[in-house]
Amino acid sequence: MADTSLTDNNVAAPRHRDIGLKKRYAAERRFQFYGKLAIAFGLFFLALLLWTVVSKGYTAFQQTSINLDVTFDESVIDPKNERNENPMKLLTANYPKLAEAALYEKLGIDAEDKAGTKAADALISKGARAQLRDMLISNPELMNQTVNVWVLAAGEVDSAIKGQFDLSVDESRRKIKDNQLEMIEKLQQDGSLEGRFNTGLFTNGGSSRPETAGVGVAIIGSAYMMLIVLLTSLPIGVAASIYLEEFAPKNRLTDIIEVNINNLAAVPSIVYGLLGLAVFINFAGLPRSASLVGGLVLSLMTLPTIIIATRAALKAVPPSIRAAALGIGASKNQTVFHHVLPLAAPGILTGTIIGLAQALGETAPLLLIGMVAFVVDAPATPLDPATALPVQIFMWANEAERAFVERTSGAIIILLAFLAVMNITAIFLRRRFERRW
Amino acid sequence: MDGETETPKVKMAGKGVEVFYGSKQAINGIDLEVYERQVTALIGPSGCGKSTYLRCLNRMNDTIDICKVKGLLTLDGEDIYDPNIDVVELRARVGMVFQKPNPFPKSIHENITYGPRIHGLAKSKADLDVIVEKSLRGAGLWEEVKDRLHEPGTGLSGGQQQRLCIARAIAVQPEVILMDEPCSALDPIATAIVEELIGELREQYTIVIVTHSMQQAARVSQRTAMFHLGDLVEVDDTETIFTNPSEKRTQDYITGRFG
Repeated sequence: MADTSLTDNNVAAPRHRDIGLKKRYAAERRFQFYGKLAIAFGLFFLALLLWTVVSKGYTAFQQTSINLDVTFDESVIDPKNERNENPMKLLTANYPKLAEAALYEKLGIDAEDKAGTKAADALISKGARAQLRDMLISNPELMNQTVNVWVLAAGEVDSAIKGQFDLSVDESRRKIKDNQLEMIEKLQQDGSLEGRFNTGLFTNGGSSRPETAGVGVAIIGSAYMMLIVLLTSLPIGVAASIYLEEFAPKNRLTDIIEVNINNLAAVPSIVYGLLGLAVFINFAGLPRSASLVGGLVLSLMTLPTIIIATRAALKAVPPSIRAAALGIGASKNQTVFHHVLPLAAPGILTGTIIGLAQALGETAPLLLIGMVAFVVDAPATPLDPATALPVQIFMWANEAERAFVERTSGAIIILLAFLAVMNITAIFLRRRFERRW
Repeated sequence: MDGETETPKVKMAGKGVEVFYGSKQAINGIDLEVYERQVTALIGPSGCGKSTYLRCLNRMNDTIDICKVKGLLTLDGEDIYDPNIDVVELRARVGMVFQKPNPFPKSIHENITYGPRIHGLAKSKADLDVIVEKSLRGAGLWEEVKDRLHEPGTGLSGGQQQRLCIARAIAVQPEVILMDEPCSALDPIATAIVEELIGELREQYTIVIVTHSMQQAARVSQRTAMFHLGDLVEVDDTETIFTNPSEKRTQDYITGRFG
């Protein structure tokens, strides 16, 4: 006991003062724990989001097709041989009949068997008409020839194979009947029915049939808009920033402008849509649904982002560089364009890409200028009607068919892939060109 | 003073120079002459206005919005604040070396050639190469960097960077070189090299140097001006200032009683 009291005395000696170390370390550990918890929380929801989207959407990249030996029978397409006089003949011919005939042959169904043919007809997508028509029109030599083609299966067939229908439900309440399931099985066994990579998802436009619906028009529309945003908001934003940061006198007016630019960055995007509707469509008379108008509206929205990023990048260039250039007799303009701007370029580029990514994912303003449209044909110019990727997702999410659920998620995957590529590019550029002083 | 008894030519002169930062007066009416091919040192405690005065000589103060300069400042008798004088041309004649070495984040070669290129001093690439070698030799840096002219100037040591900045300044063939505490960020060895260089540069250029180090002023300059609280306390031959100052404040400052 004597020993203990002696030790206690030593502990109480001045150099072992109680300065609350335990408490301080505990506070630090507690804070680190909260931080880790917050990160884990965020990662969990990110993983959940990605898992939900990918697990629902990956099937959209495969589409069930049927392999058929289609004969372009002249007696069906053009029985009276009038295609030379009447160019509409080839466009309006009864192409589905060709595909159906080929399918009967494959399944061994008698063409007179009403019930059997009806069930078989429903297996082929209505999109087969356009597919066969385009083949014949691009190559008229095919007339009366037999060609092996993969035609799309109907959306119900695709859904049934992907397990999106509950097949235990009573037949009368199912979209796909038992005899059709038998046919599907038969086709699958001889390898004439399988899931193939869905190129149509990337090239097709709007369609009410899920199997022929794609984001092609939306990708072109989004690409046009990104180009327009880049061409308008980058030069305008950079010019405005350079003037404000390097040349403008610091006074009340420039202060007000600065505050307003910062405020503009916080304006809800739908307000820009209203502005675009009023200015570009109602006042300037530009066409509705056009990617030109969409691009201009998104430019307005992106400008503040680019201006703020550019000004920050210009501010980050050390004043000593400006002094060095001015000190050997460079003019203000030369100082900015030879030294400051190149050093700020990586920051400007990063800000621009992030602004573009933001614009790419924007939906609300586009709804107001009519880009939520059912567009089938690929827009040839930015003045033609188009949609955008996020708007396409919005429209598909409203569709009733089961097959559109996977397409919605598939389109989300495509959009996220674009955004990821853009952000990775931004990070790469920042790493690659970042300079230290 | 090497027996130079004849009065040297006045290169730059200030008459009644006043400088204001907003409403605060930083310099209260100074008359100061700088002689050709001499080193003039400006000394004084922090905040005395010596750097401000230096920055008036090539109008670097123009870049500060709130800074106003009054009075007369001349280069070869011409008013440098005259509206007819182009500030870019002035800075090509009056070069500057800053406190912290500030090479451009470009190659050594580009650092030197930037000035001559924007002023159109060279007609060909060969001319530029000649200027690069001449300037680097002038700054005593050639032997150290001749094999890596295309490597970044920011990769040099601090002292080398400062000499690169001096080389960059002399590449545009100025008449006057202003130096704002050029050695304050350097170690003693690099400082000694730069000081020796200043002594050599004096043969061709008029130099005005701001320094915090009394010993440095004594070592490199022929004339010294003592500033205090925006006033010019006195200006005289360096020898006189350090051995027999006429003002008590100068005496106190150089003997370390304040500052």
